[in-house]
Amino acid sequence: MRVRVKAFARFREILGSDIPIEVPDGATMAAVLVALRDRAGGESDAIFDEGGALRAHVILMRNGKRVKRDDSDALADGDEVALFPPVAGG
Amino acid sequence: MLTEQERERYARQILLFGEEGQERLNDAKVFIAGAGGLGCPVALYLAVAGVGEIRLVDRDTVDRTNLNRQVLHWESDISELKARSAETKLREANPDIQIEALAATIDETNVRDLIAGADLIVDAMDNFPTRYLLNREALRAGVPLLHGAIRGFDGQVTTIVPGRTACLECIFPEAPPAEVFPVVGTTPGIIGLIQANEAIKYITGTGDPLLNRLLLWDGLAATLETFTVERRPDCPVCGGEVRP
Repeated sequence: MRVRVKAFARFREILGSDIPIEVPDGATMAAVLVALRDRAGGESDAIFDEGGALRAHVILMRNGKRVKRDDSDALADGDEVALFPPVAGG
Repeated sequence: MLTEQERERYARQILLFGEEGQERLNDAKVFIAGAGGLGCPVALYLAVAGVGEIRLVDRDTVDRTNLNRQVLHWESDISELKARSAETKLREANPDIQIEALAATIDETNVRDLIAGADLIVDAMDNFPTRYLLNREALRAGVPLLHGAIRGFDGQVTTIVPGRTACLECIFPEAPPAEVFPVVGTTPGIIGLIQANEAIKYITGTGDPLLNRLLLWDGLAATLETFTVERRPDCPVCGGEVRP
């Protein structure tokens, strides 16, 4: 099945804006994050920590609602995942 | 009651929300935390909209590196307190309102006194520790907090109403890393004006506020998106304080 990932701000520059990702039926968010880490390649440091986990401050959404990076719910075909870094300046 | 001069000054917006809305603005007290990239446009637009009392706090002095975005501070203000520099411009922009500008660092010891009496708190800070402090104090006092933050060409805004919406720590449980952030002045201009617009709407009771919605501005793509945000039952700040 296929999910769509929308990335914002710096993450859009690294990953692209609207990314189709193929995952096996029954896959969870973890599979999407592994695919995104591969896609980010040498720039994955901005998004993932040394252990490969999504950085703690990064906001992850599924179909417009906030989810945790270790969310264990199975994704559905056509799901939209959004990923963005909060900003702190003023 | 509005004076003749006020009716004239605000004539074009009285067409939108009536004299009653304008009187609400005149009666409103807004606390603005920060007179930097966000605080300058927020304070200027709320001043000219006729918010009756503005209290503006910033601890810094004007540096030349501020001038690309902090539009109330000019070349001649370098080394001046930002509070004083902003106060001078705001008084000139609208002599009919009260402006109190204070040079202070917002911390645990003074935050309660600083926001005392405010109907709204505008988060125009440049760091998350102070934002979290404002969030906690807003929840304690039951006063709405208009959050805005920026970096580069990107920004985020949401309106937090204690007891009704997700709080800042529900939305951002982890602060982004501190840094000397890159920024072009248009970004805090856009985000600050969305915050000021939210303030005017909230005070006049106009439109739909950004409640439980996080608005993201991506200036390079020129897109605005809003995402639903929710209270976290396990939020350490507001989790146990659900109000009817």
